[in-house]
Amino acid sequence: MKSMVLITGAAGGLGKAFAVECANRGWDLFLTDLSEQALQRLSSSLSSTYNIDVHYHCCDLTDFEARTELFEHIRSNGYRFNLLVNIAGLDFEGPFSERTRTQIRTILRLNIEANLEMTHEILKQRDPARTFRVINVASLAAYYPMPVKAMYASSKRFILDFSRALGEELRSLDVTVTALCPAGMPTTPECIKAIEAQGFAGRITTQNVGYVASHTIDKALAGKPLYIPGLLNRCLKALGALVPQSIVAKVVGSRWKAAQNKRKEMQPVIGTNAS
Amino acid sequence: MKHDVANKQGIAPAEKVSLTEEGSPKEKGSIKEEDSLEASSASSIMELKHTDNSVTDKVIVVTGATSGIGLATAKELSGRGAFLICTGRSRERCDKAEAEIRKLYPEAKVIYLTADLSSLDDVALLGARIRELLASAGYDRLDVLINNAGTVSSWYVSTADGFELQFAVNHLAPFRLTFELLPLLAGSAEGTVIGLSSGSHYRTRLRWNDIMLRKHYNCLLAYKQTKLANVLFATELNRRLSAVGSTVRAFAVDPGLVNTDIGLKGTDGIVKKVWKIRSKGGTPAEQPARSIAYIVAEPCARKTGEVYWKDCSPLKPSRYSQRPDIAERLWEMSERMCRIRYDDIMQLQAGTVPDRAHG
Repeated sequence: MKSMVLITGAAGGLGKAFAVECANRGWDLFLTDLSEQALQRLSSSLSSTYNIDVHYHCCDLTDFEARTELFEHIRSNGYRFNLLVNIAGLDFEGPFSERTRTQIRTILRLNIEANLEMTHEILKQRDPARTFRVINVASLAAYYPMPVKAMYASSKRFILDFSRALGEELRSLDVTVTALCPAGMPTTPECIKAIEAQGFAGRITTQNVGYVASHTIDKALAGKPLYIPGLLNRCLKALGALVPQSIVAKVVGSRWKAAQNKRKEMQPVIGTNAS
Repeated sequence: MKHDVANKQGIAPAEKVSLTEEGSPKEKGSIKEEDSLEASSASSIMELKHTDNSVTDKVIVVTGATSGIGLATAKELSGRGAFLICTGRSRERCDKAEAEIRKLYPEAKVIYLTADLSSLDDVALLGARIRELLASAGYDRLDVLINNAGTVSSWYVSTADGFELQFAVNHLAPFRLTFELLPLLAGSAEGTVIGLSSGSHYRTRLRWNDIMLRKHYNCLLAYKQTKLANVLFATELNRRLSAVGSTVRAFAVDPGLVNTDIGLKGTDGIVKKVWKIRSKGGTPAEQPARSIAYIVAEPCARKTGEVYWKDCSPLKPSRYSQRPDIAERLWEMSERMCRIRYDDIMQLQAGTVPDRAHG
């Protein structure tokens, strides 16, 4: 059996873009997400359009038992992987004091715990004949303390630091780890609304998901530890490093609050990796 | 007698009112005349109704008929007495459109179905529902399929099937729906498939190495490609239909620049602003609706053998859109994407209508 690419959060906006990009390169896929129906539709479409093998298994990655079951499924089928793309992630945007305990637990479990466990397990199931690549989706938000998105931004900081350290640690094992730090991406109607609410600034920092997916894979194949799509976003990151953190937090905070007021509805956004 | 004469001379409404107030004997003839006078002044479409062929006996499907060209087309064809099955995305907008049509034509035979054409599963389901509906209404045929629904998107958005939104709605959905309904269209003496293309299909080509522009998405470029695909599809469909001796014919209609809100729905910023200014200079949606109705109602449109029409007359489509190698490649790719094979139903068609194959 040919080794495959495993993509988590594959039915989301960025996940689909990665799945299509890999399919277009002729790579066989293993997809996971919450919805069986969404995975089934995407899988049959991709396998027919690009003439590849697509496997899928739906799994609630926030759940320990469900993850165990997924790993069992992978082991028992003897699947081997050469690329893991950890995309599944979410955000509960809004004032921290108004978040629920369940939300706090869910964001930690999905954005951090699931990512680490998945990387840990799939490393063991890697194709020994090939270089193994890991792509972790962090966010441009990882570079700033972000009021109103405090949990999300710091969970992404965790992923960013973890990725860089792991990449260094596994270098001798022919494994590369690439952290992707995108700005907002127009993946769902909610995300598009959020980007449009930010006005001009939101629009110019935004990249199309197809472009991001394609370039991220190129960077991962080249063994790069970090990819920030967009020149402007790279400048923003550099600026974030120069300016004192207290000032960054203030600026980011006021910008987000303004954007939130513009959107009026203060409901949490459940979109994958929107910063 | 006096009343009849007055009515025939087209007396102003104020006078008509005074005549009825007199408490005149209401003869059947005079009432009929009054009705038709009022109706013709109610809408400019109605004035032209009597000069055009009626489509009373035709069964017609119109997609995306809740606004713009689709709604105008549905109104035009309702006015001429067609049995219409229309589609839209939201129930609310469908109900509103249906009410609008019924207000103009209380006798209209129109049904609205909801379907999200960005999803190929939904398109297939829509096809099945149309087949069921026609069967239960006692029809064993469909006369006309008008693939009108179209969209514009500022951003690269991927559908549930993993395709770019404009490509899915503007090209794949018509490709799939036509496949679903072709056997019914073959049951009609003058089966017709009409796609809404656009002048923007000129001066463009298909980018084969990235047909959905994933890597370098550009809203207008993506739109132009799908409109080119519509002409390629109509041309190739005709070629394949002729090859199996089917009488079904496909057309692509160029609506010209029309004042609709297609450019406002999925867009923002510059695209939205430019469209707002441009569309003001456009014609009202009734004009392309009349072009579509012309192809539906005039038998001579079929006889010309022309595929591309604008303002009720044939026009030369781009040379690229007539290249058989391109059309075939797009066709095969679309079949893979939709997970269908036209050959399966087309062979069946040739088998079931042997008379036409020889005629």
